[in-house]
Amino acid sequence: MKIGIPKALMYYFYYPFWKTLFESLGFEVVTSDDTSKSILDMGVKEAVAEICVPMKVYTGHVLNLLDKSVDYIYIPRFVSLKKGIFMCPKFMGLPDMIKGLFDGIENKILTHNIVSKSTDISEFHNYTVFIDKLGVSRKDLKNALKKARDKWLEFRTLNRQGYDINELLTSDEPKKYDGDITIGLIGYVYNVYDRFVNMDLLNVFRKLNIKVVTFDMMEEKIIQRQLKKFKKNMFWEFSNMLLGTAYEFMERDDIDGIIHVTAFGCGPDSILEPFLTIDSEKHKKPFMTLRIDEQTGESHVITRVEAFTDLIRIKKYKAEKPVEGVI
Amino acid sequence: MGSPYMYEKLFTLLGHEVITPPKPSQKTVDYGVKYSPEFACFPLKVILGTYLEALELGADTIVTSGGNGPCRAGYYGEAQKKILQNMGYDVEFIIFDEPKRDLKTFLENVKKIKGNNSWRQVIKTVKTVYDMAKSMDKVEKIVECKRAYECNKGEFTKAWHEITEEYRRIESSEDVKKIERKAIERLNSIKICEVPEEEKIRIGIVGEIYVVMEPSINGNIEEVLNAYGAEVERSHYISEWIDFNLIPLPSYKEKEHQILKKGEKYIEIIIGGHAKQSVGAIIDFMERGFDGVVHLKPFGCLPELVSQSVIDKIMREYDYPILSLSVDEQMAIANVLTRIEAFLDVIKQKKHRKRIAR
Repeated sequence: MKIGIPKALMYYFYYPFWKTLFESLGFEVVTSDDTSKSILDMGVKEAVAEICVPMKVYTGHVLNLLDKSVDYIYIPRFVSLKKGIFMCPKFMGLPDMIKGLFDGIENKILTHNIVSKSTDISEFHNYTVFIDKLGVSRKDLKNALKKARDKWLEFRTLNRQGYDINELLTSDEPKKYDGDITIGLIGYVYNVYDRFVNMDLLNVFRKLNIKVVTFDMMEEKIIQRQLKKFKKNMFWEFSNMLLGTAYEFMERDDIDGIIHVTAFGCGPDSILEPFLTIDSEKHKKPFMTLRIDEQTGESHVITRVEAFTDLIRIKKYKAEKPVEGVI
Repeated sequence: MGSPYMYEKLFTLLGHEVITPPKPSQKTVDYGVKYSPEFACFPLKVILGTYLEALELGADTIVTSGGNGPCRAGYYGEAQKKILQNMGYDVEFIIFDEPKRDLKTFLENVKKIKGNNSWRQVIKTVKTVYDMAKSMDKVEKIVECKRAYECNKGEFTKAWHEITEEYRRIESSEDVKKIERKAIERLNSIKICEVPEEEKIRIGIVGEIYVVMEPSINGNIEEVLNAYGAEVERSHYISEWIDFNLIPLPSYKEKEHQILKKGEKYIEIIIGGHAKQSVGAIIDFMERGFDGVVHLKPFGCLPELVSQSVIDKIMREYDYPILSLSVDEQMAIANVLTRIEAFLDVIKQKKHRKRIAR
């Protein structure tokens, strides 16, 4: 049996988990192609016009998988990854949305609710649907989940050591990249690591000799410590992580500036925005918002990143240089 | 439209000085848009604009409700507090969250609101306001139906405005009863040009609660539909919201649960906001023989975008007319009118064909 996984949204965070899980259960895993103009266009055409780009991209990937004659398309419903904290409503309604957009797709969708205590989603009770639907035994499922969990934790450990997710997913020998200045990149995995949608942003940084730190490279403990400052946390797990990471970046001296990558129409990010802009100013940390959408054209991304980092370099090296010449 | 008046009444009767900001106008929207994040949803912007207007009028405390998400509305208070503080306003925010989230703050807030009143008085006041909400909604439902058939345009709207002013003056539950009787009498005395039963058009309005309930934001959609000769019913009324959210008795929640059940086929779980309710309400209106549904949502509303994705399917499945409108600062009345006119034409055609077929 072939199970298709769309290369979008949480793919960038959980693919090692899902791949190991399904393969240990004896299924073939097929992913959709890398995001491309045609995938994006298909998604834009089918999805609701107003919805955010990542959802349009996801819709495109689902269509791409339908062409690959898979038996099931795996569309989990992420409900909660922490008690009392949810995901964006669009994630919670993702299977409903896909079912609503296409007729006759119901029996092709493999879905189940994910309600978990942490970002480790290997709790058995979430997967009991598989027993009937995929005809696997409880024991096999438990073993597969354990294997998947180990694999995912390994992936996360490397990720936290500073390897970016694209390196880990695509290369056998992942590399770390350094630079003379460091930018804290605030953004969801599907915006930061989707090379097509963000115009290969990480590569732009690399070419400019800039080191990038993202939220997925941060220790959970640090993020949680920062979040304690808030009387009431936001309702969205990953937005909270971004928020905690951003405050950590503001306080740290080795981060020279912060860039917030956000998708057009992202709801949670619009609430995040006032906190980031106001407090980065208070901390005197250079801050820029980079908005990505379905319009293609990489020059604006490059121009803005160049201008921003030029200013940071001027500030940094001027401060370090001793006063010269006659005043 | 009723909800600000409920709060106004509640706090006035408890002896606080209340500043009721003017109804949202272009100025409110301009203020809100100027100081809110660009992609924040429209209600956040309008509400921020309203706060700014209230602060201009001299308010020093803002009372608002929180929420448990995952709809953005539950975090409005926190975000708006941040923005206003950054603008240099020294304003106290009293944000009511569920007691189980933070009992201590909740009790402190209650104490602040209670002031020097006795508990007996507080309970009596709350009861009065609840009766007022129930009664206003009852009268408004009559207006929404009958206004479609008025002979002289504008009579019902004028009467309704005067009736709401009367309601603002009440002091006890007895007053509410008196005014309700008078109001119904007054509405019944307005001249009506009857339309044969088979030509009557009934439209349901569903969607995000704020844009559905606030006429000055949704382009007076009810009045517009009424003016085209269509009866209207909303999926949200403030008294029903109170029943479902604030009264801890299961019998009060019956209606909402039924609506939710109807939406289950399309949206399995509650995903925040009123997405599931909206879909349920569409099915409910359809089953009750309404001719079509208008779906309202703020631009970029997270939960309602999921329901919009599902709505197309419902339209196809049942061949049922649904018009989905986005509300935001760019909304132009001419656009709305054109779309509603076209929508009603479709419905009339459909009805006509059905009649001929019979």
